[in-house]
Amino acid sequence: MSDFGFHLAFWSLAAMTIGGASMIVVSRNLIHAVIWLVLSMLGIAGLYLTLSAEFIAVVQVLIYVGAISVLMLFAIMLTPRAERDNSQHIKTAGPAGVVVIMVMIATMWVAIDTDWGAVREAALTEQARLIGESLIKHYILPFEIGAVLLTAALVGAIALARQDDEDAAVHAASLQAELDDDGSVDPVDVVDPPLPTDGEAST
Amino acid sequence: MVLSEFAGVSMPDWIDALLRIIFIVALMTIMAFALIYLERKILARFQARVGPTRTGPIGTLQSIADALKLVTKEDVRPITADRWAFELAPYMAFVPVFLVFVPMPFTETWFIRDLNLGLLFVFGVLGLNIVGVVMAAWGSDNKYALLGGVRAAAQAISYEIPMLLIIVAVVMVAAGRLAVDGDASAAGSINAIVGDQTTTPYILLQPLGFFIFIIGMLAELHRPPFDMPIAESEVVGGYFVEYSGMRWGMFFLAEYTALFLLVVLASSLFLGGWNWPFGADVGLGLQIVLTFVKTSVMIVLVIGSRALFPRLRIDQLMSFSWKVLLPFSIVQVIANGIILAYGGPDWVVGLVSFGLLVALGGLVYYIMSRKQGEGARTVQTTPATPRVITAPEVTPVEAGGD
Repeated sequence: MSDFGFHLAFWSLAAMTIGGASMIVVSRNLIHAVIWLVLSMLGIAGLYLTLSAEFIAVVQVLIYVGAISVLMLFAIMLTPRAERDNSQHIKTAGPAGVVVIMVMIATMWVAIDTDWGAVREAALTEQARLIGESLIKHYILPFEIGAVLLTAALVGAIALARQDDEDAAVHAASLQAELDDDGSVDPVDVVDPPLPTDGEAST
Repeated sequence: MVLSEFAGVSMPDWIDALLRIIFIVALMTIMAFALIYLERKILARFQARVGPTRTGPIGTLQSIADALKLVTKEDVRPITADRWAFELAPYMAFVPVFLVFVPMPFTETWFIRDLNLGLLFVFGVLGLNIVGVVMAAWGSDNKYALLGGVRAAAQAISYEIPMLLIIVAVVMVAAGRLAVDGDASAAGSINAIVGDQTTTPYILLQPLGFFIFIIGMLAELHRPPFDMPIAESEVVGGYFVEYSGMRWGMFFLAEYTALFLLVVLASSLFLGGWNWPFGADVGLGLQIVLTFVKTSVMIVLVIGSRALFPRLRIDQLMSFSWKVLLPFSIVQVIANGIILAYGGPDWVVGLVSFGLLVALGGLVYYIMSRKQGEGARTVQTTPATPRVITAPEVTPVEAGGD
């Protein structure tokens, strides 16, 4: 019973993951691609569950499906013409394919080369604690580098998104010059318009 | 666990799983019906009306009449809608909420599964809901739906962060208390947290946590004063504006079920769930009554907030989450860490959290009173600025076309 159930779960989840992943590549609409990505990520979370890695599975759903894919949907929806036909970028497919194949070879090499036997000895009920301890104790340097990288990305995003004060001043000055050339009303004066006095009104 | 114990017989795994699913669906539907009826009645009372009276005794069959209407209504799909995104979005919004039922402890032994990662599971799965909302918003091919969906997603993402951080603070306290009994690693399980609240509900230890949780809950559920994604006067109906019939009903069902589940979660985490104040020794009957009494009180509060508070603006909502709630929850986590690391007693934890809550309230009062004053002055003194537009703006991006 459990063996059959496990095989059923594994093969259906694998089909879901790989099917979703290939639909990402095939679909021409970027939003559809992200929705397929969600399906693929859910399949991966399910695969983690079949490996009794509940913590990783839940974190996968929380971060990749719940946050990152929504962020992608946001970015696509707020970008003009992002819903265009995806297939027009066929020129870059060659280099991208080479990069993907190299990454795949590297991942598979790591997967084959790693001694997975050690993992079975760990207590499965305490994975969250084990992951936390190894992050803080053994892998403190990569952990901190990741933190610095994320902080840099955050600062960079703010710097990109924020309108620079100097730029704004230059922009306003050029606008001002344009208006002066036209001989139209000076906006600085318009902010506080002089009320017509009685004498002016009568003339 | 729950069903085989209840029936007193052993059964194969898959029948057990099937029975649990049927149980969840039945409870979900009944709760949604009850909540819709209650909301109509309570809101009517707030507005000096009587609410539904004609359908059944004092209008109790109103929800069933609504459901019948929804089921028999024609399911219309706009011709320009993206077919699959539009048709699958209700399921994507509905199924995650359905899954949140799994770790909810209604009594000491009545739950679907007591997950060790229960709290993380709840938030991980609830986050999926947003994907459904965004799919509906984009798939409808309607500007109001898109606006509502983007608002809903922005709001859900930003309020999820303070909520998760404050739950980290709660779990820290729970782990500290459970470590006394010997098993601190159970602190992620909702049932273990409820089991620890025999004498002290966590609202006394983490009052700030309770308030941030309630505020985040209202935002997650798109309840007033945080209902901008579905505000009729701003975006018509929000992300489900193009839906009709049972698909619309599924969004509705998901929303009310999420309300019920988050309220059960809040009463389990902060009000002692089935445990406080009678302890675990009373029978299951009293425990379930206790859970439902706490839940009902909070549901009345949530529904009442719809009648009591005016709607905020979307920018006020976002800056409140990022500039006020997030720093306060980070400070709460750090404070808990310092106190617990030095073995501070429970009353210190509670006092510090209460102090932070008072500071939060004072800050909000200060900001709001200052903002109001400024607003009044600008209205009086600054005259309307006539804008001089020299040339029509050309947007080369749109000019290209597809």
